[in-house]
Amino acid sequence: MRFITFIARRVVHSIFVLLGLSIVIFIISRIMPGNPARMAVGPRAPQYVIDELSRQMHLDEPLHVQYYYWLRDALHGDLGMSLVTRRPVADDMKEFFPATLELTLFAGFIMAGGGIFIGILSARHKDKWIDNLLRIVSYLGVVTPSFIFAIFFLLLFGMALNWMPTMGRLSPGVSPPPTITGLITVDSLLSGNLTAFFDALWHLILPGIALAMGGLAQESRITRSTMSDNLTKDYIASARSLGIPEGVIMRKFLLKPSLIPTISILGLDFAGTMANAFLVEVIFNWPGSSRYGINTMLRKDLNAIAGVVLTMGVVFIVVNIVVDIVVGLLDPRIRLAPQRGE
Amino acid sequence: MRTLRVLSAMMVLALLVGLVASCASPAATPTPTPRPAAEATPTPPPPPEKTILRITFSWPTYIDPAVGSDFSSSSSLCNLYDTLVFPTTEGGVVPNVAESWETSADGLTWTFHLEKGIKFHNGSELMASDVAFSMNRMLEIGEGYAYVFLGTVESATALDDYTVQFKLAKPSGIFLISLVRLYIADEEQVMANVVTPGPYGDKGDYGKEWLLTHDAGSGPYKVKEFPLEEYLLMEKYDGWFGTFHPNAPDEAKFIATTEPATIRTLMSRKELEISDQWQPVEALEALGKIEGVDVAAFPSLTEFYYMVHTKKAPTDDIHFRRAMAWAFDYDAAVALEWPGTQQSQGPVPALCAGHNPDVFVFHRDLDKAREELAQSQYADQLDQYPVEVHWITDVPAEEKWALLFQANMADIGIDVEVVGTPWTAVVEETADIETSPHIVTIYVSTDFPEAGSLLKVRYHSDAAPTWSQNEWLLDDELDAMIDDSLSTVDQKERYAKYYALQDYIMDLCPSLFLYDQIQKHAYQSAYVDFPAARGEVIPLMGLNMFAARIGVTGP
Amino acid sequence: MTVQAKSLALPKSKIMENLGRSWYKFSRNPMSIVGLCTVLLVVFLAVFAPLVAPYPRHAGKFVDFANASLPPCRRYLFGTDVMGRDILSRIFFGFRFSLTMGVVVLSLVVPPGVTLGLVAGYNQGTWIETVIMRITDIFLAVPPLVLALAICSVLTPNLFNAMIAVSLMWWPWYTRLVYGLASTLRNEFFVNSAEVLGASKFHIIFKEILPNCISPIFTKMSLDMAWVILLGASLSFVGLGVQPPKPGLGTMVAGGRNYLPEQWWIAVFPALAIVVVVLGFNLLGDGLRDMLAAEEV
Repeated sequence: MRFITFIARRVVHSIFVLLGLSIVIFIISRIMPGNPARMAVGPRAPQYVIDELSRQMHLDEPLHVQYYYWLRDALHGDLGMSLVTRRPVADDMKEFFPATLELTLFAGFIMAGGGIFIGILSARHKDKWIDNLLRIVSYLGVVTPSFIFAIFFLLLFGMALNWMPTMGRLSPGVSPPPTITGLITVDSLLSGNLTAFFDALWHLILPGIALAMGGLAQESRITRSTMSDNLTKDYIASARSLGIPEGVIMRKFLLKPSLIPTISILGLDFAGTMANAFLVEVIFNWPGSSRYGINTMLRKDLNAIAGVVLTMGVVFIVVNIVVDIVVGLLDPRIRLAPQRGE
Repeated sequence: MRTLRVLSAMMVLALLVGLVASCASPAATPTPTPRPAAEATPTPPPPPEKTILRITFSWPTYIDPAVGSDFSSSSSLCNLYDTLVFPTTEGGVVPNVAESWETSADGLTWTFHLEKGIKFHNGSELMASDVAFSMNRMLEIGEGYAYVFLGTVESATALDDYTVQFKLAKPSGIFLISLVRLYIADEEQVMANVVTPGPYGDKGDYGKEWLLTHDAGSGPYKVKEFPLEEYLLMEKYDGWFGTFHPNAPDEAKFIATTEPATIRTLMSRKELEISDQWQPVEALEALGKIEGVDVAAFPSLTEFYYMVHTKKAPTDDIHFRRAMAWAFDYDAAVALEWPGTQQSQGPVPALCAGHNPDVFVFHRDLDKAREELAQSQYADQLDQYPVEVHWITDVPAEEKWALLFQANMADIGIDVEVVGTPWTAVVEETADIETSPHIVTIYVSTDFPEAGSLLKVRYHSDAAPTWSQNEWLLDDELDAMIDDSLSTVDQKERYAKYYALQDYIMDLCPSLFLYDQIQKHAYQSAYVDFPAARGEVIPLMGLNMFAARIGVTGP
Repeated sequence: MTVQAKSLALPKSKIMENLGRSWYKFSRNPMSIVGLCTVLLVVFLAVFAPLVAPYPRHAGKFVDFANASLPPCRRYLFGTDVMGRDILSRIFFGFRFSLTMGVVVLSLVVPPGVTLGLVAGYNQGTWIETVIMRITDIFLAVPPLVLALAICSVLTPNLFNAMIAVSLMWWPWYTRLVYGLASTLRNEFFVNSAEVLGASKFHIIFKEILPNCISPIFTKMSLDMAWVILLGASLSFVGLGVQPPKPGLGTMVAGGRNYLPEQWWIAVFPALAIVVVVLGFNLLGDGLRDMLAAEEV
């Protein structure tokens, strides 16, 4: 029961935060100097067309009135019109967000799987040469920004060696699967199109790994340090002395508690990855909502900027709640702990 | 530990399978297709694969004929739609949808007779009512190329199924040529897809939303797929009334990227036929080195201007402007461009119809520059009056000339600040006389090959709050001269007036005229027949990407 | 618990001994030394750039098209870019922008962020705490880069506005950090005693609670230098930070990207410079954390 209350409080808290975020975003997108209506209709349109569009966009009304319209529309799923693509921002997000989601999820798998794997490896062979090597590599992974990895990968694997594709989600000759989820890998598996599946995977590798590097390094470091801490704990020693095989110890006693900090960080890293996707998508010309976000930011497309940031906020908050739930399930200590203020 | 081993084994296995599968799939690695033998072979040749013409463009692209007007939009529109007349390589027009036409004696009424049996992509016939509809729709929406007709065209009516009549408010020497920008849309299809409510009363949104991603045209190609931010895919329309090149591509794909790295990769894998024209010189040189790839370079009636604000200190002083014009190193500027580029001769590109061959041209002369500067009212306070130059970040190479300009001006003591500005910001700031910078550097193309139309878009007061003019001349005499020349129906008279206009403008020295741009595209010369590369250049923006005339026989 | 407040009255030999001990803890990890040296090198190059750079004029208004796009050679150690400017010299001047970004942002962010955290932590259970922490939560709801990009896109792109944008969304991290510390300390014995003795709120917050938070704050600041510099480089890379022709590191990478892979040096060397700066501050930060954390045992 306590657990449910815990989650419920988080959700209410998050809704409040989202509301506040929407206000901040709205203010940001409206204090823009200049007239966005003019930019929308083209350089040589007559004044009456500009005036009409301004009226439609409620640009001449006071700020709080504009906010009211904007929020009301947003709750109905209408985020306004993008000045760049000239169609509803909601449609743009529906088209582009799955691509970013797919890339981020792929990077997430690499981060989680690779990070944990490397972390365990490092912990088992602590202070030997392999551990030191991995530690250096993961350190570099943490400090190097993803866009630099992206450029290097592009240069090396895409251009110099010409192994990997450098743009887009599918090769030109491959026909895309029908859109069910928007994730090409999932859709192609669902419709039995294996060529598309592998081709999509092939295109995901370079940007996915570039994106995952930071998180991967982070995960491996945390896993390593938690594992090596836990390895010295008393209960492990007693388990060993009882004759329980090493493998069972690893799986039953070590994995769960060691993974807790890893998973909490994973949530944060996932959001960080979404943010880094902005730069990586630009470099690899990945048709995702982040590249769309950069384009619209450079072109000062108010509604689109607001839409992208809001989406990111929602995703981040949802991920945090999910992580809290998962960690709560894994670690009884957290969900049974007294709440703040009790 | 065992779980770990199993996990890692699975990962490695998955990766291996993925590698093998993608090596097997034809898309990942480029395999050279064997050229089919010319002589008859005992086994029948395999059915011809679909040919596709892929071109990269700077985005966005609007395929609504009343909305699109930039390079990528114009290129798309000419493939999707037909026009009453079609431009020739000499700068004139030939009958296209219109078989013939007459004008009234006062030049105010134009009557066009249409060819019969032209079909739209959905099968219905192109009638005069569609032509009238297209003109009226363009005038009402007021975007894109509408400015060409607004103020000139009063009405468009269909007299019968194949005759359409335009009534003009005043005579125009360029009306006929301007019809190359009236793209004829199917009234039925457009009106069947309007969304109500909309800003056009009972016409709803006038079909604008539908026309974002669909076409209602009769042109040689029709829209197959259009994911807005990525590419436009068109397929051949076999019912087109015109004549295709024998090897015209079955599909045409316009791709939304100008990244040199991407273009390099696509070209070398033969996944791109023609590149965009914004590649930096260094990238083009590298592209030219790829086997089978050449660079097509042809004049494009585009001039590179340094538009100088004539109403803002210190550039409001004519001596100051003349000093800048004398101090700039035009030869060095041209040297940074593709070989063969020429310094501009006046405000109109040299190859444009109506260009004045005797117009005055500046060259670098520091003595004359200092002389002029000494006569300016700001001569003693140069450090208090820095000049701001805005170059457009969407074309990174523009920074080079901006920095060259800065160095040149330093030679005579003028302080220059160089500011990279994105295109949208430039459009915004040039709309207001206060926010316009001292100098903005823009390539301006003629919308159609007449000096007059370029001069109007560049120096007429109507155009002052647009991006095509930063000078803010606001000169009534000049306005009258320009309007008068455009109304002159007799060509010789008109050209004489153009000459006078160019002399007048050079006296005012409102801009620096750097060079006539050579349009450069890298293309797969091994299997693409690109008419512009052979010298058959249509001097109209976008028309050199008319896919119906381009031959593709590979890769 | 109340050790810190007395340290100012120590005799000189004690101070030297403390410093010596700190240095020992710091230098135990060789990587920390590497970090320190790297940071000192970067600072040195940035401060003395006009004297140390082989071609200091190249960082300002300069073109030399005859020597454009030269690969690394004896004359130009890192090669030249498309305007003929020496990349090595420009990198030195680029360090200036990076360091300015870090220093200015942290100076703007730490005082208000820490103060808010202290106030919120001290006034637990009141509306003051709720308001402050809710606002903090709002700003922390979105990943930093996203919010920074959004704010930057609204303003004119330049370094100054980039610093404003990053400052606007960076302060909550300090508030949250200090809030956590302050709310724990608030209930400690020494705070209660001070209250009973009639100390003013100001004294308690700044003279009793704050000194015990200094170590974590300081550690976070040194690590943050790295992240803020990275954020600045990312913003410049996208086009919203340092504008060309100024030699910002991210700006140079973005510019050089157009000329890959032939003229790879134009993008690669500035990219490596970014990595070096960020790595240096990270190592230094880790070392400081080791040095300061051990104190609390």
